[in-house]
Amino acid sequence: MKPPPMDRRAFLSAALGAVALGLTGCAQDETPAEALALTAALPAAVPNGTKLVVGDKEHQKAIEFSGAAKGLTFEVEWANLSGGPQTLEAFRARALDIGSVADIPPIHSHWTGIPTKIVASKFRQDPLNHAIYRLGIAPGTSVATLADIRGKKVAYSPGQAQGALVLRVLHKAGLTKQDVELVELPSTGDVYANALASRQVDVAPIGGVQVKRYETKYGKDGATTIAHGLRDDPGHLYAPITVLADPAKAAAIREYVQVWARAWRWREANPDEWIERYYVKDQGLTTEDGRWIVANAGVADIPPTWTEAIARHQETIDLLAKETGNKPLKAEDLYDRRYETVAADALAAGGAR
Amino acid sequence: MTASVLTRPRTPAATVPAPRPRRRLGPGRAIPFGAVLGPALLLALWAVGSAAGWLDSRTLSAPWTVVTTAGELIADGRLQDNLAVSAQRAGIGLAVGTVIGIVLALVSGLSRWGEAILDGPVQIKRAIPGVALIPLLVLWLGIGEQMKITTIVLGVFVPVYIHTHNGLRTIDSRYVELGESLRLRPAVFLRRIVLPGALPGFLLGMRFAVVGAWLSLVVVEQINSTSGIGYMMDLARQYGQTDIIIVGLVLYGLLGLLSDGAVRLAQRKALSWRRTLAD
Repeated sequence: MKPPPMDRRAFLSAALGAVALGLTGCAQDETPAEALALTAALPAAVPNGTKLVVGDKEHQKAIEFSGAAKGLTFEVEWANLSGGPQTLEAFRARALDIGSVADIPPIHSHWTGIPTKIVASKFRQDPLNHAIYRLGIAPGTSVATLADIRGKKVAYSPGQAQGALVLRVLHKAGLTKQDVELVELPSTGDVYANALASRQVDVAPIGGVQVKRYETKYGKDGATTIAHGLRDDPGHLYAPITVLADPAKAAAIREYVQVWARAWRWREANPDEWIERYYVKDQGLTTEDGRWIVANAGVADIPPTWTEAIARHQETIDLLAKETGNKPLKAEDLYDRRYETVAADALAAGGAR
Repeated sequence: MTASVLTRPRTPAATVPAPRPRRRLGPGRAIPFGAVLGPALLLALWAVGSAAGWLDSRTLSAPWTVVTTAGELIADGRLQDNLAVSAQRAGIGLAVGTVIGIVLALVSGLSRWGEAILDGPVQIKRAIPGVALIPLLVLWLGIGEQMKITTIVLGVFVPVYIHTHNGLRTIDSRYVELGESLRLRPAVFLRRIVLPGALPGFLLGMRFAVVGAWLSLVVVEQINSTSGIGYMMDLARQYGQTDIIIVGLVLYGLLGLLSDGAVRLAQRKALSWRRTLAD
């Protein structure tokens, strides 16, 4: 007896679908001809034809405006990506070589099977007075000190810097996760500010110009923000170890880190140009907003040694591992110390003012 | 034959009751500017709500704020630059998606084998949300323009396929038999019977597709973009600029309304031979 026609059709469509998935799935597979060991000295010269895909959307502009982008001896392809989830996704797709993040994504990359190494670190001078985040307090909620957070609904985004900050704040206030109600909510765009304004959460870390916007918009309803009193200033460039194993890319990254460091100095030396060309022209903010951001960010600190930073990173890892049930990591393993002095040396050597 | 009917003596008019105007069963005569009435009413409600203070300007900016913000964005050149990039992406995606949709619909509509192989996967794609596919598309195609346009194409080809295929399959078999008895060559059959017969379906599919092409932008332009309406709105989100977000939304609304209107205009021209309730 003939099988019913529907079965045959279903089988054929399923088979075709599987073939299409298989074909597209095995695209892009390139490994360097000879791999560079992670302990081998960094090659000094960048071979011709090297290309680096860089995701650092804000600082890219500083590098371009300062004129340093023209002097690079390799080709840079800028990707408008930054932050943990986006850069990790792009690393996984082999679409990105180096990304710009805070201190949580490098930890998560190890936990999610894309081992990376930090190749440059940047902090803020006087970090407690130039914090990236403040704790937004919903209108009608009375939280004046960290201890008042007990029993409140707190926005929590595991995997992002804001999530770790919440855990550290609780730790500092002597509270545990059980003392508050953690509301899992990814912090993208204006989600946290809006969640506060609509009283979906009582407390949420908000950063940058969102702080100013939130205070002016909802201040008359009783919205406030408080300082969390913790260092939240680390900013890193990190790359997958598969990229660092490519000698050409490893050399290009070294050069990129030098340019990256000098562009930080350029931003500080030319604040007006930076505000006008980046915040106003490119990002569509007002000059006043731009000034506020620059004043709030303070002065960059690019230390010649990472020892202290690694020790602080270790504390964060230990806390996160305990609170999220992930395996502990050695902070030392997150850093590629061959690059430790590259940025600071470039600044000491001067140039690009 | 008709002569006898015509010459049959009529009943005297006086005995017939006065003819009542016949009740029309269709929707009736077209209202002048009917198409803009609904949107205008919506705009009026928005304006009145904002002026009266029923709408919180922090959650929904007033229409005049949106106009002022749009004016500033145009003066900066941001609005038109972003729109140009978005329009190009949507246009390429729409063109490629339409061609793929038509070709698949023809293959699947005109052959049982084609249908057996193609219809299932298209229905599967139809059931998978575009947003859910993006992580995979990033893995396969990277974060560049290729991924963005592919996402739009995937959103466009499905409605074109579904409606064209349905149009093809609902061609009255009388016309097919007519073609057979006239011994039409396959090419002539395709041109004279299949394509005109499938046209109403195709045009309906296009109405979904043109709007769908714009809709995909807001998602794809959040990934590694430095331009486009979606990028402009996402950036405004980062900085809490609600008014710019609403400018983007209004723009989407207008673009959708205009592109749908354009297809409907083409529909009216191309299907002028049809006598339907739409007229």
